[in-house]
Amino acid sequence: MAYQAVVAGVGITEATSPRKQTHSFVELCQQAAHAALEHAGASPDSLDAIVVGDIDGFEGTVLGAKFQTRQLGLGSDIPVIVVNTGGTTGGNLMQVAARMVRSGTHSRVLCLGGPTFFGAQDLQAAINTNSPMIVEQPLGMGGFHMGAFAASAYQARYDIKLEDFAAVVVADHTKASKNPFAHLRYTVTIDDVVNGTPLSSPLTQPMVCPVSTSACAMLVTSRQSAQTLRTSPALIKAVGTSGDPYLGGGKGDFAAMENLAILARRVYAMADIRDPYNDFDVVEVFAPYAHMQPMQLEALQLCEAGKGIEFIRSAESHRGGSLPVNLSGGPKCTNAGVAGELAPYIYVAWQIMGDAPEEIRVENAQRGLAHGTGGTFFQFENLAVFESTTESR
Amino acid sequence: MTMTSPNTQHVHWDLDYDIHLGETWGRFMDGLRDKKIYANTGGSGKVYVPPMAFCEESFRPNDTWVELSGEGDLEVFTVVWQGFRGGPKPPYAIGGIRLDGADTLLMHYIVGLDFSDPAGIRAQLPQGSRVRAVWAEERSGQILDIAYFEPAI
Repeated sequence: MAYQAVVAGVGITEATSPRKQTHSFVELCQQAAHAALEHAGASPDSLDAIVVGDIDGFEGTVLGAKFQTRQLGLGSDIPVIVVNTGGTTGGNLMQVAARMVRSGTHSRVLCLGGPTFFGAQDLQAAINTNSPMIVEQPLGMGGFHMGAFAASAYQARYDIKLEDFAAVVVADHTKASKNPFAHLRYTVTIDDVVNGTPLSSPLTQPMVCPVSTSACAMLVTSRQSAQTLRTSPALIKAVGTSGDPYLGGGKGDFAAMENLAILARRVYAMADIRDPYNDFDVVEVFAPYAHMQPMQLEALQLCEAGKGIEFIRSAESHRGGSLPVNLSGGPKCTNAGVAGELAPYIYVAWQIMGDAPEEIRVENAQRGLAHGTGGTFFQFENLAVFESTTESR
Repeated sequence: MTMTSPNTQHVHWDLDYDIHLGETWGRFMDGLRDKKIYANTGGSGKVYVPPMAFCEESFRPNDTWVELSGEGDLEVFTVVWQGFRGGPKPPYAIGGIRLDGADTLLMHYIVGLDFSDPAGIRAQLPQGSRVRAVWAEERSGQILDIAYFEPAI
């Protein structure tokens, strides 16, 4: 027999830069874990597993999650499952927990994501080391250099100007300025973005995510187990992941996110989504670089190919619009590694539960889409569809 | 007591590894030393360079070797204005090259760009520009046996 999995609680800490963060990795994780349990009204001893994300090397640890999880103050007898899928780790935590609950072997699983990029003094150097060794690692690429390939190809195909990418950044910062849990909460202008420090053409510094420190946690339970909790849980209607070839050069087309488009068709079929734009009330995508959000929205069939930036510019993608996207400000304004990858899932579930922070809340959101991606050239994608468990009003 | 500034300690990792290339990448690297670019195919019709033991579309073994010329189309590139610790000194360019006869892209350094014109940089080598491999004088069976790709005019 298969069971339905729901999100019954979420917890998230405030975000800051590493320079200002006075808490340790473990302390941030403690705050997030206890906040999620508090939100749900669940006691630590009701948990039957923790799924925790960990990217070895980035944190200066090896299987750090094994000992860090013992220090959360959640008791001594909780099995720990460590997920390490590189950049997609945070996006895969709920995928794992949902499958555990659906199988019937577990009924309450806590997903936990910490601030992975907390310590690396030069994050781009750290990212370079997880390029495919031997054939791509020696070629002088960190994260945003690899990201820039798609930005350049997308520009060429649709005649996108720097001002167009800047409009995406302006929208993200405007949204983040209203989110009490965002890291970069200042607004920017088109000129600020276009004239920002060039990093890797065509990307300038304001087009690239910050290194943030925060943690987040999510309580995934069976639908039945959630009945004794205090929230209106969000049903995990469908989940899925998909991968492109291992080498960056295996990607067929840098100007379109073909792998994400394939995954979207699969997940939409499972969730009975036939008209994505109208079926969803809220969307959060993992778009740490400016060009990624429009390309993702196109692959997700939320707008036509080449029209992503037009949609992001329009009021329809903002709060009060017909399909609010990344009201959190997205990873462009807050990216804490594993926590940053889990965040789209946290925010969409929070919206569907009706408990998202008032400043960014979408009233009566019934159905939402959360997305994650990672890998050196973003070869790997993950998606989830959430639905309200309350009758629509 | 609440801290007002972070308390951090420096940690350093410095480790060396020997990666066993195996037969597929071993043959590719041996070829580079001899100024030859070997691709493979056979799992499907798709031609892989660098070669892959298994086709990532059919998941069947690639059992046929093909030699490619060192020329192809530059599909996309980026100019690195800000690099990273231990990396090359910027500015430099990296691109994805579709070698003639290959279905995948080979990533490599690209030369021949005028870095004094940042705004027009993409137009200098538009998508589909022809490029060719330039061999390093000293070769030891590694990806940098190709020194870089230059415009083929």
